[in-house]
Amino acid sequence: MTHLLPLLLYSGAFVLWVRLLLRGARGQASLLASGVTGVAVFVHAVALGHFWLRYGELPLVGPGAALSSLAFVGGLALVAMLPLRDVGRVAIALLPFIIIVQAVALILGIQPSPMALDFQGTGFVLHVSFAFLGYQGLALAFAAGVLYLIQHHELKEKRLGRFFHFIPPLATLDKLARVGLWGGFVALTLALAFGWAWTVENRGSLEMSDPKVIWAVLSWLVFVGVLLARAGGGRNDYRGAVAAVVGFGVVVSTYLVLRITVGATGVFL
Amino acid sequence: MSLAVVGVSHHTAPVEVRERMAFGPSEAAEALLELRSETEVREAVLLSTCNRTEVYLFSANGPHVIQAWQSLLGGKAGRLERQVGDYLFEQRGEGVVRHLFQVAAGLDSLVTGEAEIQGQVRDAYELAASMPVDPPLAGPVLNRLFQMALSVGGQVRSETSIGEGAASVASVAVQLARKIFGSLKGKRVLILGAGQTGELIVEALDREGVQGVMVANRTYERAVGLAQQVQGHAIAMERLAEALGSADIVLSSTSAPHPILTQRVFREAFPGGLRRPLLMIDIAIPRDVDPAVGHDPEVFLYNVDDLRKIVDEQVRVREGAVPEADRIIQAQSEEFRTWFASLEVVPVIRKMRGRAEDLRTLELERLLRGMDHLSDGDRERVEEFSRRLTNKLLHDPTVRLRKGMGTGGGAELVEAFRFLYGLEDHNRPSRAARRSGEGRGDAGEPAGDGESKEKMGS
Repeated sequence: MTHLLPLLLYSGAFVLWVRLLLRGARGQASLLASGVTGVAVFVHAVALGHFWLRYGELPLVGPGAALSSLAFVGGLALVAMLPLRDVGRVAIALLPFIIIVQAVALILGIQPSPMALDFQGTGFVLHVSFAFLGYQGLALAFAAGVLYLIQHHELKEKRLGRFFHFIPPLATLDKLARVGLWGGFVALTLALAFGWAWTVENRGSLEMSDPKVIWAVLSWLVFVGVLLARAGGGRNDYRGAVAAVVGFGVVVSTYLVLRITVGATGVFL
Repeated sequence: MSLAVVGVSHHTAPVEVRERMAFGPSEAAEALLELRSETEVREAVLLSTCNRTEVYLFSANGPHVIQAWQSLLGGKAGRLERQVGDYLFEQRGEGVVRHLFQVAAGLDSLVTGEAEIQGQVRDAYELAASMPVDPPLAGPVLNRLFQMALSVGGQVRSETSIGEGAASVASVAVQLARKIFGSLKGKRVLILGAGQTGELIVEALDREGVQGVMVANRTYERAVGLAQQVQGHAIAMERLAEALGSADIVLSSTSAPHPILTQRVFREAFPGGLRRPLLMIDIAIPRDVDPAVGHDPEVFLYNVDDLRKIVDEQVRVREGAVPEADRIIQAQSEEFRTWFASLEVVPVIRKMRGRAEDLRTLELERLLRGMDHLSDGDRERVEEFSRRLTNKLLHDPTVRLRKGMGTGGGAELVEAFRFLYGLEDHNRPSRAARRSGEGRGDAGEPAGDGESKEKMGS
């Protein structure tokens, strides 16, 4: 129930953002949607804090607990954006990701993992925390990219309808995607470095055929690809938005493929 | 006492007349003072914009005040083709409330839903409120009326789509630019040719903080002249590609018979391809920009038909919101009416209580006259009993009368109340009223002498 409440609140916030979109972005609904989003993140923080206090371990090990923490990092990113004018509206694209991740976490069960004893230490905590920040950075770039492409389409089609009024300006979305990508890239790079150092220290060597390692390196390469797509031949906002959406799709689908194929053996997240 | 509004608006007078009847802030202040000194009008607020000049009045002698206002307007306008009165409109009573609410909400504006009027209504009210006269020109009634109007304006704009989108070509251009670039500060604008619409767009963009306006024209001298008007700099047509390469927004309105910004010019301007958004507004007929240029994903090209279509669509959206806005105005007008009606009962209640107090003291004196054996303490207890009994008897009728005023038929209710309590005698103030020197209203209520009635109008 503790972890279900944030999911319900995230869903409620999403409904409010959609309502705001349908109403043509009018009224106090923006305040309400932002408020509910903030409350959801607060409640989520309390739930994760409760997990820590109750089981004496950070919710970073085990798929359920880790995914819930990943969703929470996304919520934190949203809360940071809410005070910025119009930027908070990116919640309409980011919240579904957070909701899905939290729902999957609940289905898998947010509970202490027997593996927690094997995964301890500052290096591990930093590795996972930076990895979550990295993936949420990519998720943010994806959300901004999706909205960018919709707004771009509206402008090209010369339709000044609900989407046009609701979605922030192209320049704002591009800036947001850039922050997400660069922040995520730096975080994921640090995550890889801490992960490598921790593994060498605790396991002796890094197994490159480990699906976790494959996925992490592939995600890092996706970041590099997306950043290059934006930078190649000068700044290109449209190409950058497409690259962010495709890159996120690649990272998520790779995760799903690895999860389905080797996840059952227990060697993957 | 009644409410009235008299003036000219875009519905009743052409711009040639309206502009001669427009008041600047200092002129408006003088006019209000003149109106007060000549007519002793109780309350007055003067609203003067490019679309209207109207005065809101709350006074005892309506026709006299209106006559004075007409003379004042006539004097300001000077000689007109027709009589001043032919251009004027007049509303009284509840019509005034509804009219002001519609004005504040932008429903009576030339462009439905325009937002500027809200600030103009506020300025008009604040001007009247700031006048150093006693009693204040923005007294209790107009204060309440204007505060509610501003609130209604805000409510209509936030709860309906009345102010949604842009309703002119210039504002659509700015809206598009904002949705592409976010802030327009520091953006560079390239202007090709001249024209009234183009100038309006440049003015609107300028207000948003664009910088570095470049002007190109077929003749360089004309470009220099235009550049001076818009505080930009002129460039020769031969350097068009170079200027295009550094522009964020292009505004084109030449009378050239063929496209000026062709794909060749575009390629010359962006040899490595366009790597950033470029807004191109082509309001020329025939078009200045080759439509093929718009196929680039970073180019947002709009011609005059596109802009007109967007404007028409936005206007339709706004007009579609009018019924919803009307419902809000109706509800709020009703609320004001209820409040206003409640003012009417104040003198009646005061008089009824005065009459009751007279009777109480009279009967108490008569009773105590034959009871000399009572101690002071007992006398006080008897007096306290009489006071409490009177208050309890009057409490329910007072509350019900106030409540009844809000449910319609208030005037009849007050008449019935007067009849039942024998308060129709206008020439005999109560003893209690004489003792306390009553006759002036409390703060927050229009002054009443117990005889006069507050009316929204006849």
